[in-house]
Amino acid sequence: MKLTKALQWTAVAAATALAVSACSSGSADKHPGSTVAKNGGTFRLGIVEPTAIDPYNTQESEGTLVTQNLFTGLTSVSADGKISNALAESRTPNDDCSQWTFKIKGGTTFSNGEPVDAAAFVRGWTRAAAKDAASDVAYHLGEIDGFKELNSGTAVTFRGLSAPDATTLVVKMAIPDCEFDVRTFHTVFSPVPQVAGAASNKAYNDQPIGNGPFKMEGPWQHNSKITLVRNDSYGLTKAHLDRIEISILNAANADQLEYQGFQAGQFDWARMPTEQLTAAKATYKAKGDWYEWDANGMNYLLPMDFNGPTKSKEAREAISYAIDRDAIAKGVFKGFRTSADSLVPPAFVDAYQKGVCASCVKQDKDKAKQLAAQAGLTPGTKLYFGYNTGGGHDPWVQAVAAQLGDVLGLDVHIDGIPFKQLLDKEKTPDATGIYRAAWGADYPTPGNFLNPLLATSSIDEDQTTHKVQGDNRGRYSNPAFDALLHQATGTKDLAARTKLYQQAEKIAIGDDLALIPLWNRSQQRVANNEKWANLTYDFSENPTLATASLK
Amino acid sequence: MGRYLLRRLGQMIVVLLGATLILFACLFVIPGDPVGSLAGSERARDPAVVKELREHYGLDKPLAVQYVTYIGHLVQGDMGEDYIQRRPVSEILGPKLVNTSKLAVAAIVFDVLIGAGVGALAALRRYSLWDTAVTLVTTVLVGFPTFVIGMLLLNLFAVQLKWVPVIGDASDPAQVILPAITLAIIDAALVARLMRGTMLEVLRADYVKTAIAKGVPRRQVLLKHVLRNSVIPVVTYIGISFGGLLGGAIITETIFNWDGVGMAMSTAIQQQNNPIVVGVATWGVGIFVVLNLVVDLMYAMLDPRIRLS
Repeated sequence: MKLTKALQWTAVAAATALAVSACSSGSADKHPGSTVAKNGGTFRLGIVEPTAIDPYNTQESEGTLVTQNLFTGLTSVSADGKISNALAESRTPNDDCSQWTFKIKGGTTFSNGEPVDAAAFVRGWTRAAAKDAASDVAYHLGEIDGFKELNSGTAVTFRGLSAPDATTLVVKMAIPDCEFDVRTFHTVFSPVPQVAGAASNKAYNDQPIGNGPFKMEGPWQHNSKITLVRNDSYGLTKAHLDRIEISILNAANADQLEYQGFQAGQFDWARMPTEQLTAAKATYKAKGDWYEWDANGMNYLLPMDFNGPTKSKEAREAISYAIDRDAIAKGVFKGFRTSADSLVPPAFVDAYQKGVCASCVKQDKDKAKQLAAQAGLTPGTKLYFGYNTGGGHDPWVQAVAAQLGDVLGLDVHIDGIPFKQLLDKEKTPDATGIYRAAWGADYPTPGNFLNPLLATSSIDEDQTTHKVQGDNRGRYSNPAFDALLHQATGTKDLAARTKLYQQAEKIAIGDDLALIPLWNRSQQRVANNEKWANLTYDFSENPTLATASLK
Repeated sequence: MGRYLLRRLGQMIVVLLGATLILFACLFVIPGDPVGSLAGSERARDPAVVKELREHYGLDKPLAVQYVTYIGHLVQGDMGEDYIQRRPVSEILGPKLVNTSKLAVAAIVFDVLIGAGVGALAALRRYSLWDTAVTLVTTVLVGFPTFVIGMLLLNLFAVQLKWVPVIGDASDPAQVILPAITLAIIDAALVARLMRGTMLEVLRADYVKTAIAKGVPRRQVLLKHVLRNSVIPVVTYIGISFGGLLGGAIITETIFNWDGVGMAMSTAIQQQNNPIVVGVATWGVGIFVVLNLVVDLMYAMLDPRIRLS
């Protein structure tokens, strides 16, 4: 399955791995800068064909790998999962966070020599938000004043953006947001040069000219390869690798091909098929070539909170208590997944609340039965369980269904259907039962889990078809929860904001169990650490190519 | 002959139109909104973007209108734009068709050389050790699934021995060998058995006996009478097989990361990337029909008794 945009998050992944070192076997060289890194070398890896590498529409992890090496924006997410300045020298909101001012490092250029100034940012953001671009990621710019007009085609300029001088970017917000700066590390916030033209410029789509640590060597050879070379005029700390050769692999078995390529010495970094993880760990962990960590993401069940047998919170708790997460993690996932007890994953170190989902912690058959009786979830009740085929979900879905049958006597109807059909089904007003689901945040804030998945505004029902248009497909709605989220985005202080998000999660997950967490997003990679130094994974689960160097 | 060709070409157009019509109807019946969510993502697409894309692709129009528009563009060589990358379908499929054709040609060459050669030798040395071995090995091979052969070859020659790269360039001739053998191996076994069977039959035919009795040199008997008459069923089989191969070999292309139309088809179906699905299927039907015609024409060349009318 194609790595999705849901993986394109941010992350705090690296942070966890470093903190929980028992979980991470780490790279051989953990001291960047302790010796002078050599320039040179060609780093090779495989990805599946991205949707786009032009920042206006870069969306999934693969595209992000390329675009992030071609472009540098205002901020970056450092290895410990915190936002830090990249080209921005300061980022300041006004009192009510309705206006943000970014000071930009002066004197840097795109690889064609054009200056990277405030106007270049205005250009990039305007280009992505324009109606004709029909960009899938432009919604990240949606809080900025004038987005609606530009996106609907009634304006051609971005009213909320201004560049009073070359190094100052002023952003007026339509929706005040005290954590807007967290968003700006997303590739859609990249600056572009004048030669970029409109989003429809096919030549630029396939060979973007950027201001990142690397630049394209020739255009993207679709379904074949993408080659990057070091950008020696990069405005920040220069990269060491001479070249990055990215082979494009078939989506259906990319992890198999990556791993075979790694075994044959053809790739320096690879994912593995689930069934080969045990063998791979045995071979590569001892060599120091093994990475394993819980990344920024969550696997959960999506119950229909507004309809059918999962309408009451007792029913949802009964289902949650009936599932033995640890047994499935061990039996089906061979220990390569960890059980979840929260919606905001442990990778969000500061916001994570251990055990906020009380029914997730341990299987409790008696409690499950008792709650089921209370909810009228009697033995023999029909429960629909939808999931998408082709994602390797079949074994665990069957295991969960069997447990629900054994413990609660439910008549679980498992329905494996293609992905788009599943999503369509979840959106309908007569949907019932539970659905397989997963999520990863776009930026390192708990709000990016709570808001899209659970806020009332994220239901966004279509007035004629009554289908959900947002991502809150269980149609959870709780005014107290909504109010806390609103308060959080209006709070400047990070610690206070995190507290508010925690309270919100306590309501939606702790009290209402609007979604049923199952497993954390555990990740595994192999890397050729005999050859490379300063190589680890970043928040997008990609290798840190901008810092890696030959040993 | 000319009339025959014209009639067959006319039939072809009808078949192609029928095929695209059925495809369109099928895609319309499948539930799920092809542009309703991001590619492969759980995330809903912005309603404004969905609306823009529907208009862009004409999905807001009735199916009949979409179909007529599609056919209108198709005759001009325009297959539309795909839903994911928004690139012209012809530009996406062009290199894939070349890759699939390369693989198909290489596989057919192996088929003919190995299959027909081995089968002919077995027939000539009937009940010899060679014949028994051929019968045995081909029986086993015919029962092998393609993916087993492909995985074994890839693991042995690319991962273990490293004679060829796991991920190679389709323009590198060495790269085609393993997938071509994978594709050819089962077919070659079938061809060998077919060749052996028909050749044994022909060897017993009266005209062969007559030729030998007349004192025609053995070499000439074999080449002129036996071989020529034995290859007719083989040509049919290989012709049809070639048509199938040109339509894309999903499993083999997947195992060897061969960027062909088979792989494109399977990915496109999963993503509901309908313009690619219709494009590949139309190509598959078209090439199959064309090759059937070619096979029929070759019959007439090989066997003068067959009249095309």
